[in-house]
Amino acid sequence: MAAIRETGISQLRRGVLEFCVLALLRDGERYSYELVRALGDADGLVTTEGTLYPLLARLRREGVVETTWRESPSGPPRRYYHLTPDGQAALGGFATEWTRFRDSVDALIGNGVLR
Amino acid sequence: MTTDTLHPLAAEYLESLRRAGRGLPPGRLRELLAEIEGHLSEAIDPSASDAQVLTVLDKLGEPEAIIEAETPHPDEPPDRRGVREWAAIILLLFGGFIVGFGWIAGLILLWSSRAWTTRDKWIGTLVVPGGLATSVVIGLVATGAPTKHLCRGIVGGAQHCTSAAGPSNMSSILGVAVFAVLVLAPIATSVYLARRASQR
Repeated sequence: MAAIRETGISQLRRGVLEFCVLALLRDGERYSYELVRALGDADGLVTTEGTLYPLLARLRREGVVETTWRESPSGPPRRYYHLTPDGQAALGGFATEWTRFRDSVDALIGNGVLR
Repeated sequence: MTTDTLHPLAAEYLESLRRAGRGLPPGRLRELLAEIEGHLSEAIDPSASDAQVLTVLDKLGEPEAIIEAETPHPDEPPDRRGVREWAAIILLLFGGFIVGFGWIAGLILLWSSRAWTTRDKWIGTLVVPGGLATSVVIGLVATGAPTKHLCRGIVGGAQHCTSAAGPSNMSSILGVAVFAVLVLAPIATSVYLARRASQR
């Protein structure tokens, strides 16, 4: 019953965020802090940046991303993330579904009963 | 640990994160603390003011919220080896002896479970298809066939048999080795699947 306490938007955000991480990795690898800042800077996407680290850990466990440690020019070594073939497939599938979903919701909100 | 070089407010934050996360598996907490510490040292300039540090910490969120996100969801217990997972593991290993159907049932359970990644599922499927039953059948065919005795009926009350060209020592050692691998591989896969289901 705990899940019911969540509002629809926060559930939606949680469901979509992991694909946003995958999308950020589409063009190449990025390290944790870069990913977190990119998501944190996007308007309305993330409320608490810290909770993204558990998300990244889950994506690693699920095998949709893999990581490599590299020395950083300043400070401690950085963990770089890249997509696995599973991750690429998941992102591709989501991108198609999301476009359909977004268009339908936009159509309802824009032209439907709400106007 | 570079905690010494962190701003005192950031070090305090990290410490309350550590306290909030005492209930997490130690490996997960250690990893999470290292990630957050990396974040703090990237985000906070050594000359940052208290206000700037507090802004970074605000964006990170309450330590309790981060720990909660790391904690497995109530409806997915940390050890995901439920009845389905154990049934899948046992059927994949021994199900082949039940006219093959048992193994296929195990396969269906394996692929329908959420306890394993796609990679784990492929390993469970391909090493070794049919499980131990396949190993035994291959073992019997490979080692049994060349040593089969040819019997040419009854001669003078005793069965007259001639041994067909038997295997050389070399090939029987090889045969035993291959058979051992064939038996051990599905067992190793079962152990792997059981461990993976509890890790995720």
